[in-house]
Amino acid sequence: MADVKCLDIEARLERVRDACDFVVACAETTEMDERAVYHCQMAVDEALTNIIEHGFGFEGDDSTIEVCCERDGNRFIITLIDESPAFNPLEHEAPDPDEPLDSREPGGWGIYFIRRLMNEVTYQRQDGKNQLTLVKEIPAGVESVPSGASEADPVFPVRRLGDGAAVVSPTGRLDSNSSPDLERLLNMLLEEGQHWLFIDMSDVTYIASSGLKILVSAWRRAQDQNGDVLLSGLQPRITEIFEMVGFDMLFRIFPTLEAALAAHSKSP
Amino acid sequence: MVMEINSSELKRVQLFEVAGRVDSTNASELGAAMDRAADEGRNYIVLDLGGVEYMSSAGLREMVRVLKRVKRSGGDLRIANPSERVREVLELAGLDTIFEIYSTQVEAVGSF
Repeated sequence: MADVKCLDIEARLERVRDACDFVVACAETTEMDERAVYHCQMAVDEALTNIIEHGFGFEGDDSTIEVCCERDGNRFIITLIDESPAFNPLEHEAPDPDEPLDSREPGGWGIYFIRRLMNEVTYQRQDGKNQLTLVKEIPAGVESVPSGASEADPVFPVRRLGDGAAVVSPTGRLDSNSSPDLERLLNMLLEEGQHWLFIDMSDVTYIASSGLKILVSAWRRAQDQNGDVLLSGLQPRITEIFEMVGFDMLFRIFPTLEAALAAHSKSP
Repeated sequence: MVMEINSSELKRVQLFEVAGRVDSTNASELGAAMDRAADEGRNYIVLDLGGVEYMSSAGLREMVRVLKRVKRSGGDLRIANPSERVREVLELAGLDTIFEIYSTQVEAVGSF
């Protein structure tokens, strides 16, 4: 079941970012939320920076580091393989976050973050190569949605209510695959003059940053036309994501679509 | 997005608005920008991280270094508007107890 994807980068700091983008893209294909994906990105950044600075002493231009991602059940596994002299980052002292400022050394955070952000970190020297393995557990609780689901039927149900109001009911995962469909749909409604958009989120199981961005841009456009985007029926995981990014302060959010519609009909 | 730094000289405070991605390739640039203000005796610094989508420990390192420096001259480095992700990282590093962190730029600037 393991589908391993790998990227080779030259051992230079300038290439770390490409590796980050690669890992983020792989992580986003799982049900990991944005926070967990961010953790993976940061752990890989810190680990690669360590390898390039300490393993290669910044002189690894001719060497490559192999970055691989795979999913094994509920584990997202990142493996970094390099040919620098044996270097086990896990042996190095991590700073103590409780230490007062004056006695603090400014650096050394890398391995500390790697350990805190990932669930498992292991190092082994094998065949003359360093192999660092980082594991992030994919939170359980949401069934894996077959990736075909959002692609097969891209258009979400819409109900036009008249008076410039419409209900949109997206389903499944709002990730970079399906978000463009939602964007097209919301833009179409806004252009039609529907400036009161009721988005019923009760069948949305996951929202990625791409989905969040689209909601915000629709919200802005609706507000510009004295309308609004009202959300309802958020699943607990979605509510958590909204709170994490502070969107619960931005959007009017109702427990049910009916409550959202009722609130609208009462307002002048 | 690459890192962008916008520096403005306010009455009492030197304000840095940072956007984009702060990592090991560019953190020293951010540190150097703050050093230039401190060199001119402008030791009240606000770092608005509102536009920072990603920051690695290299960015934290520069922030801690400059904080220590300006504190020695009676100044301070205060943080405004970090994203939830960046705030989490500051907390993980225990830096939320060392830096004063404000949710808005106005509050951070007004705190001096």
